[in-house]
Amino acid sequence: SRYYPTEDKPRKLRSRKTAFSKHKHSLRSSITPGTVLILVAGRHKGKRVVFLKQLDSGLLLVTGPFHLNGCPLRRINQIYTIATKTKLDISGVKLPERLNDKYFNRKQLKKPRHTEGEIFDTKKEVYTVSDERKEDQVAVDKQILDVIRKNKEKKLLFGYLGSMFSLGSRQYPHKMVF
Amino acid sequence: MYCKAVFTGYKRGLRNQHENTALLKIDGVGSKSETPFYYGKRCAYVYKAKRKTACPGHDKASRIRVIWGKITRSHGNSGAVRAKFRKNLPSTAMGKRIRVMLYPSQI
Repeated sequence: SRYYPTEDKPRKLRSRKTAFSKHKHSLRSSITPGTVLILVAGRHKGKRVVFLKQLDSGLLLVTGPFHLNGCPLRRINQIYTIATKTKLDISGVKLPERLNDKYFNRKQLKKPRHTEGEIFDTKKEVYTVSDERKEDQVAVDKQILDVIRKNKEKKLLFGYLGSMFSLGSRQYPHKMVF
Repeated sequence: MYCKAVFTGYKRGLRNQHENTALLKIDGVGSKSETPFYYGKRCAYVYKAKRKTACPGHDKASRIRVIWGKITRSHGNSGAVRAKFRKNLPSTAMGKRIRVMLYPSQI
């Protein structure tokens, strides 16, 4: 007599772990769309960038604007940002629909396949900026720069976003108001 | 982009010391009320060695090495702070510079 299990497929036990896609992401109250953030880590550290929106993964979407400080449309984690009290009114700014996490995911560069005689000849694929990125960058930055131009303090803002944050001597972050 | 701090010693009673916790004196922080900004911040002891080792993000190996850690809590009333490092700090680091980073940021 054979053993016949009562269920065709064994059911997984309930796990208390939630998948990343189901995590709830909070946003610091000091960060609202249009806030100028200071990036504190990464290759753009020290730059002052404009916060656009929080993506589904919880990461923040920011842009330099690229013309002012070389920071492109980019994702960053809010723990690597300091929110300043400077805010721009970007309620009228329309972001392209396709700016989501999938768009910003790292692309796997194809590793060069080594054939018989060409081991040292095949070139490594280097990352190049795709045309859609350039399009989106221009589209978004145009709107942000317009917002800055309409602002009362546009001269100050252009200089502010173009300059870098740094700590000088006798400057202590715990005593600063950002 | 970091705050300057000094490694003043290990957590200790008069006659016993516990090397797993380091005491740091952060520049400009003079009282306990000023320390909460630094809780959780990552800190690094940067030093140079004779042999070159590979480092992430660079093609060439470098002589610079780091021991990472984080600030856990305040220590005493005058602004000193306790930190735990991934590997205990070497005693030769006493009196030397420790970099206190500005991340994870909470402002």
